Amino acid sequence: MNITTIFILHGLVYAGLLFLVSSGLTLVFGMMNVLNFAHASFYMLAAYFSYSLLRWTGNFWLCLLVCPFLLFVIGALIERFLLRRVHVFGHLHELLLTFGIAFIISEVVKWVWGTAPLPIEIGGFLDGNVTLRGVIYPTYRFFVLFCSILIGFLMSCLLLKTRMGITVRSAVDDSEMVNALGVNTPRVFMFVFALGAALSGLAGVISGPLLSINTGMATAILVDAFVVIVIGGFGSLIGAVVASLMIGQLQSFGALLFPKISLALIYLLMAIVLIAKPSGLFGEKK
Amino acid sequence: MKKDYKAIQIWGLIILLVLFFLPLVARPYIVNLLTEMIIFSLYAVSYNLLLGFGGLLSFGHGMFLGLGAFTTGAMLQRIPGLPFFGAVFLGTLVATLIGLGVGCLLLRHKGTYYALLTLAFNALFYAVAIKWHAVTGGDDGLPVKRPNLHLGVVQLPMSDVTVFYYVTLVVIGCAVLFCWYFTKTAMGKTVLLVRENEERMQFIGYNPAVSRMILFTLTAFFAGLAGSFYALFFKFVGVDAIGIDMTTTALLMTFIGGTKNFFGPVLGAGFYIYFQNFLSNLTDRWPLFMGILFVLMVLFAPQGLSGLIRSLVELFRKTGDRKATRKEDHPFGE
Amino acid sequence: MEILQVKDIYKDFSGLKVLTGVTFTVKANEKHAIIGPNGAGKTTLFNIISGKYRPSSGSILFKENEVGGLSPYALNHLGMCRSFQITNIFQNLTVFENVSAGVRSHAGLRYHLFKTLDRQSKMIARTEQIIEQVGLAEVKQRPAHELSYGQQRALEIGIALSSEPELLLLDEPTAGMTREETEEMVKLMRSVTENRTLMIIEHDMEVVFSLADTISVLHNGTILASDRPEAIRNDLRVKDAYLGEE
Repeated sequence: MNITTIFILHGLVYAGLLFLVSSGLTLVFGMMNVLNFAHASFYMLAAYFSYSLLRWTGNFWLCLLVCPFLLFVIGALIERFLLRRVHVFGHLHELLLTFGIAFIISEVVKWVWGTAPLPIEIGGFLDGNVTLRGVIYPTYRFFVLFCSILIGFLMSCLLLKTRMGITVRSAVDDSEMVNALGVNTPRVFMFVFALGAALSGLAGVISGPLLSINTGMATAILVDAFVVIVIGGFGSLIGAVVASLMIGQLQSFGALLFPKISLALIYLLMAIVLIAKPSGLFGEKK
Repeated sequence: MKKDYKAIQIWGLIILLVLFFLPLVARPYIVNLLTEMIIFSLYAVSYNLLLGFGGLLSFGHGMFLGLGAFTTGAMLQRIPGLPFFGAVFLGTLVATLIGLGVGCLLLRHKGTYYALLTLAFNALFYAVAIKWHAVTGGDDGLPVKRPNLHLGVVQLPMSDVTVFYYVTLVVIGCAVLFCWYFTKTAMGKTVLLVRENEERMQFIGYNPAVSRMILFTLTAFFAGLAGSFYALFFKFVGVDAIGIDMTTTALLMTFIGGTKNFFGPVLGAGFYIYFQNFLSNLTDRWPLFMGILFVLMVLFAPQGLSGLIRSLVELFRKTGDRKATRKEDHPFGE
Repeated sequence: MEILQVKDIYKDFSGLKVLTGVTFTVKANEKHAIIGPNGAGKTTLFNIISGKYRPSSGSILFKENEVGGLSPYALNHLGMCRSFQITNIFQNLTVFENVSAGVRSHAGLRYHLFKTLDRQSKMIARTEQIIEQVGLAEVKQRPAHELSYGQQRALEIGIALSSEPELLLLDEPTAGMTREETEEMVKLMRSVTENRTLMIIEHDMEVVFSLADTISVLHNGTILASDRPEAIRNDLRVKDAYLGEE
């Protein structure tokens, strides 16, 4: 029983992280029809930023605040000055651009911080363990879970209750219509893209102490995020939640039960969904 | 137009002469570099048949190179006395069959779906390669013996750098030439229809699914062939041969070289390999250079290096033309 | 011979009923116009006949064989070809390549890996013939995106002709054309359909009355009337529904 609970918790924690990363990805795709290959690079960049900031200031909470904001700005700049430029050339070009940016970020990270994995120590109460019904579990993991749930909640409030949120949701649904209604769609695009980057960045900062900071972390979570949005459905946040939960548990129990092929199974699942039901569980047929 | 053709013929001849005679006088290091360039030229050219000619962005081309490479290496390990071309044949065969299988699943969607599905399969094969230690050597990789080549009574020592180079030049060179010829065949022209207007082609009697199948399988064949030679060249296959990084390499080479021109990817492969060797002596971070170049091209020069060269040539001809009095045909676009 | 028999075709797009029982026939070599108000379902009808959509129910008989639900390329092989209301050509290929695609497809040269096109003199000749017929001989080596709108519409027809169809379906071929361009197009259509069956969707009544042997009026998803032009002209129901605006 204990072991199962722990693995379920592992799965939930990873699901939370996945959700943070894939929510931005799916929103951007749903709205702008661009699959941002650099999305996980934002995740990685923020993690590395937080490493340096932490070494400089020793304050983890500061990192949590500053790094996502940095990524927000970077995301906005990329959308405004790079992505928008190639929009006229078509989807293929946009894909190629995001891929190129991902590549460059990856190389810059290796250049500035080196290729060795970096350790992160937070200290404080987050370092300890929590005992819940006889199960001893690291506090930090609960913290990650808590953050994901909180952000998820804030995001749904934002999207469902505020005017801006309704605009964003409409733009995801039908950006041309929204444009025709007089909304400044480019600005909405930029905002959502930047927000997605910030969310990804937040996930990156949080994941540092959990999963270690290394140069392969972008690719690792990128493919998982792709799996999530394929299964969940492009553009659907609910889909991202459900699929993240699924993949989280699959990763967790897969590593336990089928260690040799668990990774392969997930990619196989993605392929099957793409073939059988390309719109995913909750996505719209495009 | 006729002037164009003559210039191309002259350049082609020069390049052929260099390819044939340089290795007789150059250092082994250079010969090896050329060999690597030739192998990757085929890899990039086959990728461009999908991307430039078919309009299909695949994120899985690396799996075919890797499949060819690992199969060749693994077969050489397991089948004693397996001849050189037997190993190549098996590697290419496996890659082609998998290409056929995966191709069957890629019949309907384009764009992002296509990219993601090919990515999923590439990731799948990579994951398998890492775990299947028995066959692929897992993280340690697979050492590959290079058997000598028996041609009737003659035995060619393939351990000799120059001999291996010439065999590569002939075999891979022919493969690249066949790809070029392919673009002139009926199927090659049909591939363009897939790129240009997949809907309309149905209404004039083409089955786009068949077209895609043939194209994908064919490109898998050539990538697999390149992979077999890759294994024999490096005498080692690591998991990076089948990973997404290998796919990335194809994309970079092809795009930087230029997707609109058949020989663009050849130029791109040569450029990439040369700079990889040249720059890696200066810095570990030479890929950053490639990445920046790639992004700059996506932004400002999507026709790639070959396109830029073409523009330069036309610029020179236009200034030269002002002196001439003859009229000239317009070269038509691709 | 009745080359096309459309019987009771229904088309329902997830609740949106576009066609609610369409029935009419087309005789061989007939020039058959489909007219009707916007949104009546004319293009949907074409899409169903030419294989782009499946009918929700009903049957279509082409040369007396059931063909409902067949793919566009299967229908093409049987002898049908259509053009599009919104120009749907191969933009980056030359005019010649646009037309030769259909010509070689008709000759069965689609997926050959070992046959090139430069030796196929009969195909080349036929391609040039069609290009000549639609008046694009002067621009045959230009990429299609460089053509004027009228030229692209002519190319639309050229591509449709390249399949040597027995039944030619033209969807608003004169859409967006000037008076002169329209007259040229009508001349062209007359000449290319001398030995063919033509089905044409048109809004321009002059074109319809100058070309058609039979007119079918599509209204509210069904055929209101299907008869000779004079009969249609005098039909009260039709006048009410459609021509009455004149």
